[in-house]
Amino acid sequence: MSQRPRVYTTEGVILRRRNIGEADTIFTVFSPTEGKFDAVAKGVRKARSHMRGHLEPLTRSKLLLAHGRNLDVFTQAETITGYRALREDLELCGAALYCAELVIRFTAERQEHRELYGLLLDTLDALDARAPLHTVRYFELQVLGLMGYEPQVDACAICGKRLAEEDVLLSASAGGFVCGDCRAVAGAGRVISVRAIKVLRYARSAGLEAFAALRLDDSLAREVQSAVAELIRYVLDRELNTGKYLDQVARLPRFTTRAESPDDVQSL
Amino acid sequence: MTEGGAGTPEPITRLIEAFHKLPGIGPKSAQRLAYHILRAPEQEAFALAGALTEVKQRIVFCSVCLNITESDPCSYCLDPRRDDSMICVVEQPLDIMALERAGGFRGRYHVLHGVLNPMDGVGPEDIHVRELVVRLQSGDVKEVIMATNPSLEGEATSMYIQRLIGPAGVRVTRLARGLPSGADLEYTDDVTLSRALEGRQEL
Repeated sequence: MSQRPRVYTTEGVILRRRNIGEADTIFTVFSPTEGKFDAVAKGVRKARSHMRGHLEPLTRSKLLLAHGRNLDVFTQAETITGYRALREDLELCGAALYCAELVIRFTAERQEHRELYGLLLDTLDALDARAPLHTVRYFELQVLGLMGYEPQVDACAICGKRLAEEDVLLSASAGGFVCGDCRAVAGAGRVISVRAIKVLRYARSAGLEAFAALRLDDSLAREVQSAVAELIRYVLDRELNTGKYLDQVARLPRFTTRAESPDDVQSL
Repeated sequence: MTEGGAGTPEPITRLIEAFHKLPGIGPKSAQRLAYHILRAPEQEAFALAGALTEVKQRIVFCSVCLNITESDPCSYCLDPRRDDSMICVVEQPLDIMALERAGGFRGRYHVLHGVLNPMDGVGPEDIHVRELVVRLQSGDVKEVIMATNPSLEGEATSMYIQRLIGPAGVRVTRLARGLPSGADLEYTDDVTLSRALEGRQEL
């Protein structure tokens, strides 16, 4: 046996859970020091479990873990932030779960990634404070950047020429936007409006709060959302489960609307 | 076919394989179970076989509330003394038993057979939400009580259904959330504690 300590402490955001057996659960955690990892909580589904509420998905908790033969085992957990609003709002909950799934899909097991952890916390904090849903676009674009897939938003992804102020083609395979001259080379793609590109550029230069404060009308928000979703789909080569869920939620009858004046983004 | 090792008679191999398909049963446990059955008295083995066949032949889903039942509609849906204006929505048939044991609810039930789990791709089409919407069309129902678990998934399911059926003008309520009896404040999570504080009541 190695001489490593039997237990270790860390903190982390609970990303997902998988129930096993009678009362045990495997949680996927994202921690600043350990990266993403799975660990098992024994007996956590029993009513008397002391860790139960502290290991709910979308909770940031202090954790004490014991090294296990296969999976590490949670021995103590205490909430740092419970993110209550994320549990009480359908859209915010979906958005936060979507961010959690992005972390799961983009990271490898046990690889430290402090910057991404910081970004996840900032985003969850913002959503918990009821930031508009397009804040998630900021998270997506930053994740792409941190993971080395930053899309080209200033210059043509094929010839490198500066993009004119006009609608351009989005080519996920080329890694960004394609100018009018290169369209034929790029093949199929989706045409993106100047306004949407401006939003994407703003995400790169602005901070999270400034981006969240943007006022996007519904159609622009949808355009930016599907453009970024396409980039992500190309990189991951799969659909996100939570993405499908968000679509289903978006189709529900809405009592309130977040629509704002459509020209706000022009003033960037 | 290595389940029982080379030369194992075919019926035993088949039994081992059948056990192996059950949740939580590995190849070794499957072998042990199969050999236990082999050694067990005949009537015990036949009783097990009978119970297995019967559960598949006689138990059906209630066509109204989707509870598991021997006769369709189930006894809760047929009982004339129950209140038609209230439906209590639960995740699993076992939850009905828990609520009945607790007593106090005299309305009808609806079993979703699952909860939304966005992360694992379980959406509204995978649980019995549509049947609930159809039941509300009669107009008799005045209140829907969401009795899903107070977990992230349970809350999401409740909120989803509330949004879906809210426009129909039905009152949608949620079970109170707070401290279970026997709980320890010291170990209670912040969200539960703050909800418990908000839901405090005059002594």
